[in-house]
Amino acid sequence: MRTYRKAIVGAIVAVLALGVAACGSSSNSSSSKSSGGGSTSNSAGASSVPLKAGENPVGQTLYGKKKGGTLTVYSSEDFEHLDPGESYFELDYAVMYATQRPLFTYPPNSNDTLVPDLATEMPTTSNGGITDGGKTVTVHIQPNVKFSAPVSRVVTSKDVAFAIERGANPNVANPYMEYFASVKGASSAKGGPWSGISTPNNTTIVFHLNAPQAQLIIGALSLPLSAPVPQEFAGPMDKHAPTTYGTQAEVATGPYMIESNPKTGVFAGLGYQTGKSLTLVRNPNWDPSTYTSAFKPPAYLDRINVDIGGDPSVIGPQVLKGSDSVQLDTPANSVVKLAYDSYPSQITFTPGSGDHYVALDNAHGLFTNVNVRRAVWANLDRAAIIKERGGTLTGEPATHFIYPGNQGFAQAGGLAGPQVPWNKDVNGSLSVAEQYMKAAGYKTGKYTGNQTVQIVGANNGNDPAIIQILNSDMTALGIKTHVSEVDQSVMYSKYCGVPKQNIDACPTVGWIRDFADPLTTLYETFYGPAIVPTNNSNWGQVNDPQINAAMVQAENTVDPTAAAQAWANVDKMLVNDAVAIPEDFDNQANIESGDVVGSDDLWDTGSWDFMFTSLKNP
Amino acid sequence: MTEALLQVDDLRVSFDSEDGVVHAVDGISYAVDTGKTLGIVGESGSGKSVSSLTTLGLTRGPRAKIEGRMMFNGRDLLTLPDEDLRKVRGDDIAMIFQDPLSALHPFYKVGVQLIEAMQSHRSISKSAAHTRAAEMLELVGIPDPKRRVDQYPHEFSGGMRQRAMIAMALSNEPKLLIADEPTTALDVTVQAQILALLQDLQDRLGMAIIIITHDLGVVAEIADDIAVMYAGRIVERGTTEEIFHSPQHPYTWGLLSSIPRLDNPRDEELVPISGRPPSLINRPSGCHFHPRCPYARDAHKRVDPPLEAVNGGTHLAACLLEGTVRTRIWDGIRTGRDLESLKRLAATSAQPVVEGDAATAPESEGTQPEPGEGSLVESEQPAREHSTETPFMGPEEMP
Amino acid sequence: MARYIVRRILWGILLLVLVSALTFLIFDVFPSANPAQLRAGRNASPAIIHHITVELGLNHSLPVQFWDYMKGIFLHFNFGYSYYSQQSVLSLIVNRLPATLSLTVGAVVLWVLAGIPVGIISAIKRGSFLDRAAMGVALTFVSMPVFWLALILLYFFASDIGKFPILPGANTYVGLTSDPGKWFTSLILPWLVLAATQAAIYSRLLRGNLLEVMGEDYIRTARAKGLPERRVIWRHGVRSAITPVVTVLGLDIGGLLGGAVLTETVFEIHGIGLLNYDAILHSDFPIVQGTTLLAAMFIIVANIVVDIGYAYLDPRVKYS
Repeated sequence: MRTYRKAIVGAIVAVLALGVAACGSSSNSSSSKSSGGGSTSNSAGASSVPLKAGENPVGQTLYGKKKGGTLTVYSSEDFEHLDPGESYFELDYAVMYATQRPLFTYPPNSNDTLVPDLATEMPTTSNGGITDGGKTVTVHIQPNVKFSAPVSRVVTSKDVAFAIERGANPNVANPYMEYFASVKGASSAKGGPWSGISTPNNTTIVFHLNAPQAQLIIGALSLPLSAPVPQEFAGPMDKHAPTTYGTQAEVATGPYMIESNPKTGVFAGLGYQTGKSLTLVRNPNWDPSTYTSAFKPPAYLDRINVDIGGDPSVIGPQVLKGSDSVQLDTPANSVVKLAYDSYPSQITFTPGSGDHYVALDNAHGLFTNVNVRRAVWANLDRAAIIKERGGTLTGEPATHFIYPGNQGFAQAGGLAGPQVPWNKDVNGSLSVAEQYMKAAGYKTGKYTGNQTVQIVGANNGNDPAIIQILNSDMTALGIKTHVSEVDQSVMYSKYCGVPKQNIDACPTVGWIRDFADPLTTLYETFYGPAIVPTNNSNWGQVNDPQINAAMVQAENTVDPTAAAQAWANVDKMLVNDAVAIPEDFDNQANIESGDVVGSDDLWDTGSWDFMFTSLKNP
Repeated sequence: MTEALLQVDDLRVSFDSEDGVVHAVDGISYAVDTGKTLGIVGESGSGKSVSSLTTLGLTRGPRAKIEGRMMFNGRDLLTLPDEDLRKVRGDDIAMIFQDPLSALHPFYKVGVQLIEAMQSHRSISKSAAHTRAAEMLELVGIPDPKRRVDQYPHEFSGGMRQRAMIAMALSNEPKLLIADEPTTALDVTVQAQILALLQDLQDRLGMAIIIITHDLGVVAEIADDIAVMYAGRIVERGTTEEIFHSPQHPYTWGLLSSIPRLDNPRDEELVPISGRPPSLINRPSGCHFHPRCPYARDAHKRVDPPLEAVNGGTHLAACLLEGTVRTRIWDGIRTGRDLESLKRLAATSAQPVVEGDAATAPESEGTQPEPGEGSLVESEQPAREHSTETPFMGPEEMP
Repeated sequence: MARYIVRRILWGILLLVLVSALTFLIFDVFPSANPAQLRAGRNASPAIIHHITVELGLNHSLPVQFWDYMKGIFLHFNFGYSYYSQQSVLSLIVNRLPATLSLTVGAVVLWVLAGIPVGIISAIKRGSFLDRAAMGVALTFVSMPVFWLALILLYFFASDIGKFPILPGANTYVGLTSDPGKWFTSLILPWLVLAATQAAIYSRLLRGNLLEVMGEDYIRTARAKGLPERRVIWRHGVRSAITPVVTVLGLDIGGLLGGAVLTETVFEIHGIGLLNYDAILHSDFPIVQGTTLLAAMFIIVANIVVDIGYAYLDPRVKYS
């Protein structure tokens, strides 16, 4: 999960509601018209959410554009990790996927259909890629891919194995190793070889699993961790704590590389200056023929200069009025409004960019009662929250937990979601809420006990307003509240992410999936055994044995369609139990210059894809 | 009659202020001759400093209105262009001020400040000016002048600073030196040294001096003439002897009474003049002094007294009391009669005033004890004691 | 004097140690995210976070961490490494300092050249239209938020986004050594922004001082000596009135060298201020500590220089 950029979106774009509210009705109507559509799994969620001002990312042109030129990329935020083993942030991904080749990837216009990147085909049961009832996954890789200088040799499957195995090295500390937990030997690994990974020849890598989790592993192999890393080069650097691979030097396999010294591979101070700039240049060792027809990055641009820092309200106009530039991080609210009003063809809103919800403590206090949770959900004015977050351009009312663009979204009911009385009214319904309060044993429909509910939320941007909406909707039910507003990082690390703090409600938490498998949306957040004492992401401490079992069952379903259905069932159970209150499904705004033919990565919250973006006049 | 060095005629200086027009100087006339010393005496706010600053053009400004004539060396200083007047300042006319510490620039060496004064009026080389600066310091009695000339004002004692100020003022051999309260900030022994120095320098260099003070005692010894100012006007003017021997104005009496007298056998308290100086914006009607005058009559609130000759001589006074009454009251003051009886004296004399009271005055005063040598001598006593000092350093000035 | 300077420097070093200690305390007391966790990513297992905690030395008690930090500085002149980029804090600061230096020096020259004459003229022409106009403008500049002024200037004059595109805008800064011409033009707007407020403050300060000084006895003396008015104003009036301004100037320069966060952010000049700002956002404590120390050091040095300078400017002041 990557809540990082999303949370900032929520904070910054929120004010947009005032300026863009007028346009809201039209996109509202069109979205309700198409809700429930998208029955095929391919881009199901995305195509049903028409939120474009300019080019809709789903329909974007990918091939046949002009080659050459230098793109200037503005980003007020810096990158975090440029090591494929560590990288876990939308902005980092924009660089990672342009320079590194994981086994699988998503094309820019898809957020749920994987295609081979370094691999030669997608493993399936029919092509022998998935065997042993989903417990063995075999992947073949392209034979002629080369690392950039100074390594400059052909990539082998051993490089992929090393890349994944080093993720368990504490000096690398990959943040999503649990997706590989079913690989044999993974749980005890500390950086050395895993018994469950074998490389029978230079172009084949085999994963042996403890459970039939082939789909999950395949999904996870689309993450940067599976991009090959040469052990002779990175191994010595991994001895440093933390590793210097990705902070000092790195080699690339993708069409671009971070500009570095060809003799040493060192980019620090050259292609990357912390907080200042990052430069991508063409990788001379890259061979465009080493791809399948499903995915052939055209790599139009000659050079990408990322300019780090600066004020969003300056960067935005620079991009909109300037040329050959895009903004990588989230535009300021004033800029989104400016773009929408005056440069509508230069802004896109990418659906499926995450969700927000109110985490309710299922384990302690008042919200252990399912009917109280339903009552609070029924009364929550989600329309008001969306307005605070930026209006209908940047958010759709959420009705359940699998958000658009994930497998199982359509099966879970699309935008309308599972039909229950408490998710029907986006403006909140006091009468419905009172029914559930009565069902919870409060005869008047109002809470009459003495407990005070602890609400903790972020103080960034418009989050305080959202906290207030929840607060007033709760107090309308007679619930006594105590509200705390803290910095977002503090909210996660000191309050909502620490179960023993017994925080009853966290109204400003959000989630971004890692890949299209609904597990990456639901597991960490609602699976009981995933609860940890600190740094916990199951903020509501949801631990229902039936739901847990259903998740395990879905996780172990090998057939993709059946798996999607199984996750949709989990979603229904979560809704039925009202384990949390979904607020909105987010859309990410992105801006570009008028002479840029930008390409949004639908699967990466709309981040610009440097391999597919081109210039009109290079 | 030879022309005086400085002849001031009907000088009027007023300033516009937020509260109204301030009549700082209101028609005063005086003259100083070369080699002579004029003392201008009065409380603060009497206009004495304004009149002397006007001499140097330092009161000029958009808010100031200056009228009258001020002839110096055949030129009217009041109509002189700014630049011409600047050339007079510090050259023909020099001035020293009350507080020698704040009057010297704290950031510049004493010598530098002297050199600056010389170079702004003479074309003189820096080294020559430096030598002359040391000579000037020596002239005013500063020991080790070659070292002192390169010291800063804060390294000098109060008395030495004033000596340095005098040296600076005299460095261009002025024809007229205006000393504005030159001793007020100094302690008594140093005061006497400075006064003696001024007198000595005048003897040697022959310049005219105007000494401005609130303390009649200061001018008692060195002034030839004294003008007493009150509320912007001269209320009495005469030779030093006249002022001390037969003062004519009740204000002068007050000033004389407030001189400390070292020889006074009794533990007599000084008699300050009661009340406060009047506002120069809304001056009292009639005789400006009437609110503070113990002898004022109702008519004095309406009649503005002119400055008139006493006994037809050069001694002038502006008082509505009859001359004989004034003489009797002064005699009464000298002999220590209490204020109530003096007031009665002034009041009972009121009726015959119209016809003239020359005959009655000695009658009533004749029974009074012998007035002795007169207050002039007595008041001179302390000054004379100090003046025996030659212009050398006091012990406190030893480095 | 030498003894005095040595003593002041020793005190300054002690003060820096105290500043470090205080920074340590502040970071410990105020709720902030665990740096090890930020380093590890939000999904990292507790074991990994623990590992990183140990690597960063965060498992030690605060005094021990502080002791280690001090040892690093005094024994190896090592100011630690960024939690995020692992780069040496010292090298980051050295890398960023030229930009901040450029920004500061130009702005100082500008505001001194603007503020001092305006202050003097206002004082001399007190109450005139010129004085009122100048002080009105100064008051406006003083009350204007730097951030806002910067944005306004960019929206008006920046060559990329301005209504009157005449000057290089944000993100155009280049080092002096790489292109002096571009360096200069790219800094014009930032200099103006930084200088505007300061020039206003200085002109008001100087005007007030000079008005006070011109009422001093020694000014009357200077006039009585017959000095030309110009000399009275400059040699006697301004000389005194400017002394406190020089003091303030020294401290302001010291403060600015610690980084002009707002100006650097808006104009995207990668100086110390932006480095510090980013570090705070990332809870990158070693950098915050380093930039804080640097800022404190500049202020302490500025204080010492100002005090020594004062002894030359005002002969009454003596140190021993």
